[in-house]
Amino acid sequence: MTNEDIQITDKPGIDRRGLFRLGGLTAAALAIAACSDNTEAGTVGRVGEGGTTPALEDPVVNDGVFLRTMAGISTSIANAYGHILDGGFLAKASETLPDLGDQTELVKLFQEHHTTAADTFNALALEAGAEAWTCGNTRLDAASINPIFDRVENGVPATDSSKVIGPSDDPTRDYINLVHSLESMSASSCQALVPVLSGAAMRFTAMQIGVRSARQAALVALRIFPGGYLPGLADSTVADNSSATTTAAADGATPAPTAIPQPVALPSRYGLLSPTTFIGGAGDENGVRLKINFETPSLNSFTYPFYACP
Amino acid sequence: MEIEVTESGAFAELSDGRQPIGRRAAVRVAAGVGLGGAALSLLPFLSGRAAASPPTSQPPNTQPVNSEPTSTEPTSTVGTTAIGATSTSAPPQRPTGDDVALLSFAQQVEATAVALYNEALKVTGWSDEQAQVVTFIRDAHLSYAQSLSGLLGRDAPNSISPEVFDAQKGGFTGAIDAVLASAGALESTAVATHGDVIAKLAGTDGASLIASIQMNEARYCTVLADLAGETDPTVLLVDEEAASLVGKG
Repeated sequence: MTNEDIQITDKPGIDRRGLFRLGGLTAAALAIAACSDNTEAGTVGRVGEGGTTPALEDPVVNDGVFLRTMAGISTSIANAYGHILDGGFLAKASETLPDLGDQTELVKLFQEHHTTAADTFNALALEAGAEAWTCGNTRLDAASINPIFDRVENGVPATDSSKVIGPSDDPTRDYINLVHSLESMSASSCQALVPVLSGAAMRFTAMQIGVRSARQAALVALRIFPGGYLPGLADSTVADNSSATTTAAADGATPAPTAIPQPVALPSRYGLLSPTTFIGGAGDENGVRLKINFETPSLNSFTYPFYACP
Repeated sequence: MEIEVTESGAFAELSDGRQPIGRRAAVRVAAGVGLGGAALSLLPFLSGRAAASPPTSQPPNTQPVNSEPTSTEPTSTVGTTAIGATSTSAPPQRPTGDDVALLSFAQQVEATAVALYNEALKVTGWSDEQAQVVTFIRDAHLSYAQSLSGLLGRDAPNSISPEVFDAQKGGFTGAIDAVLASAGALESTAVATHGDVIAKLAGTDGASLIASIQMNEARYCTVLADLAGETDPTVLLVDEEAASLVGKG
């Protein structure tokens, strides 16, 4: 038999195979149709009842936001000085800085400057079409200033994994160092405004405030560290904490606490925009003190238009 | 001998062109397509029943997260450029024509300060500490003049202001205390001058550089006063700034 003799045998009616073919064809057609039709189905459904997707506020960053932010920072600094002055910490003698003297009156002057600065920034913010910001910068308060107050005055309670950390061994030293850190940050923040503010007049006013803060930073640095004009001109580490790093004592004695470098009046040739590091409080079981960087404002500390004073 | 077509699938008859399509097979295909078409015609109705409906509790005045901001204000590159629209128009970055004149004058002030501190360092009687600080300040002013030269390029004057030098030179050649007081006054003058320059500059490159210079020159006032033994905070903090040189040099 040859291939020419082969013929397809066609049985009459729809047999079982034919029914399968027909069913398969129908299923395929349905699948294709389901993929291509009804574009008005809407968003993907959810199971059960849930809240709607929250619409984020428009993150506007403009002159008003910059100026409101600086008003808040100035208020935070003034409030911090108020806390320090109310506690009378600067009138007490410092064991670490025996020549410091009472800096209460000086810090009162600084406080007045920052209160005035907050008013000035708010006036500029109003001119820029924004609302005034009359309270402190919430981010700066929550992340930096309040933790320092808490650590210095109360310490840290013991946990399952760490021992108790006592209050600061020298609150006067810590708070005068905090004053230096805040003045340095204020100066840096004002300088950082210059390239981002749209108007030359606003830059001028911001720099007037920044210039004063820079001088206050230099002066308090010289009060903390007399003769500390330049880096390297004298030993800039607190004498009784001369260990630059924390080292565990081999004989099980308490490790030396973190060294606290003393500030200098002229830390560089140009105005700095880098963070100012605060180190203070008592050391933990390993001798490590609290360390916080004060930085110029950025996305997480801007006072956006949709924020309101708490 | 009868050989059945064993190719699977409904379109087995169409898979090979050499195989003829019989009348019955054609009827089957047509019937299948007809049934499929009937099913297709029912899909909109069926899918309308099956599809999930969006939540109906959408609050008013909300927009999808990925939609464009509704603000019609111009987008700016000021500050943090990655986020949304702002209402701040972007200032120019490079110095404008007017900026060049202002920055050139600022550079002359810095060069003049270098020349004056050179005169001061010729005076005898400096302590080591004083000499180090004054030398640091002199070198800083030299650095400022060089930075401004870099910003201005060929437009940089790279020369002192003879008027300012002649007016100030006497204060930099006397006794140490007098020289320190003159130096402090010069720094205050520079601070005021740079403040005036910042108040007039349009470009942010120049303004940023002048601001970083001005910030440190403010510190020099305090340092020089302290170096001279001054203890009054009003003097150390320069409650009264000197007059600006803009328009006088």
